[in-house]
Amino acid sequence: MDASLLTVQPAAPEPIYRQIVEQLRRLIAGGQLVAGELLPSVREVAGFHAINPMTVSRAYSLAESEGLLERLRGKGMVVAATRRSGRPRLRGKGMVVAATRRSGQTESQRLALLEPQLAALARHAGELELPAEAVLDRLGRLMRNRG
Amino acid sequence: MNAMLHEANAVDVEPLVARGLTHCYEGSNVLCGVDLALEPGSVLGLIGRNGAGKSTLIRAMLGLLEPLSGVAFVFGEPALKLSDAVKARLAYVPQQPEALAWLTAQQMLDYVGRFYPRWDAGFARNTLERWKIQPNKLLAKLSPGERQRVDLIRALASQPELLVLDEPAAALDPVARRELLREVALRAGESGTTVLFSSHIVSDLERVASQIAFLHQGRLLLHCGVDEAKERYARLWLPATLGTAAPAQALSRRRHDDGSLSLVVQRDAHDQWPEAANLPGARVDALGLEDLFVEIAE
Repeated sequence: MDASLLTVQPAAPEPIYRQIVEQLRRLIAGGQLVAGELLPSVREVAGFHAINPMTVSRAYSLAESEGLLERLRGKGMVVAATRRSGRPRLRGKGMVVAATRRSGQTESQRLALLEPQLAALARHAGELELPAEAVLDRLGRLMRNRG
Repeated sequence: MNAMLHEANAVDVEPLVARGLTHCYEGSNVLCGVDLALEPGSVLGLIGRNGAGKSTLIRAMLGLLEPLSGVAFVFGEPALKLSDAVKARLAYVPQQPEALAWLTAQQMLDYVGRFYPRWDAGFARNTLERWKIQPNKLLAKLSPGERQRVDLIRALASQPELLVLDEPAAALDPVARRELLREVALRAGESGTTVLFSSHIVSDLERVASQIAFLHQGRLLLHCGVDEAKERYARLWLPATLGTAAPAQALSRRRHDDGSLSLVVQRDAHDQWPEAANLPGARVDALGLEDLFVEIAE
């Protein structure tokens, strides 16, 4: 992986170390980063983006504690090998491809990808003073209609 | 031998400390009892509006100005009586460089370099070229921006343990600015250089700073980690009907024309926002550092 794959927005309300972890999560979930792939060193990321190396270390440590990355002795950080979350469902051909691409991800990892949207939804619902049941009911129906 | 003693000290002595610094110009206070300490290896971004007292604070901390009251220490020595040994570990780039204007850039760097035990002549030469400065032009004939760039090269080439930059970004174009930030960030991370960096361009500080301090009207409003500032503070907006529920504790409080209220609030020890944030109709917005500063400095 190359440091240029990451983008950093210093002025965003989200701290830079969280931006990096979030992007790693997405790149791994999206299949752009595969298990065992070597990450750029802290120095490379810090140098490329002109950010404090401590910020990058903090991001890598958090990603490690979340099971996204693994520290290999003498090598650096690599994308962690992940457990399979059940077997891919073999319905249509399209499904197989999609399922294989996502198969490295546990359900909770995939769910974590939705976290920003869910947080925004929860906030909007709160502002509109909507009860959770009504929102969940509607959301459930939307998801079932797609399938 | 002396140098070795200093290396050993550097581990525990705070590179830069201010205690109760107070100063005034022509009867108006510019510093009102500022306490500030830099941890070794940290990069402190000093944010403040023009005229907030940033340059005065920096000059007082380095002993270039005698404050009305209070004291400052550089590597444990009183700032007003620094030894040559401590001066050699320190590099300062003022907003307006003034010295040695009768020399060319190259002559100045060669001359100054002799005073620094760890002078990196190769870095000075390469950076002059990269930052497009003619080495044989008189400093007096360079533009203010070019003068400041030469001064930055001088500061970085001395490989200081403490680097103090007063508004360095103003003189640099975006590419050179990014290069300077990269230098600062990597030196802090790898050589353990301690950096104090003042600017009103907040996004520059956000890239490289590990700590920030907001200076406003001669007082420090906030001094904490950059990530902490973003995660611990937010703007709480309350509609006019909830005005009475507003928490008593807030860093700033602003009433809008329609009676609604904006407050800058802080998470408590259990990471919770004040209770009013959970009321229907209330809204909590995360803030970037610039927004946070504008909210509390108004």
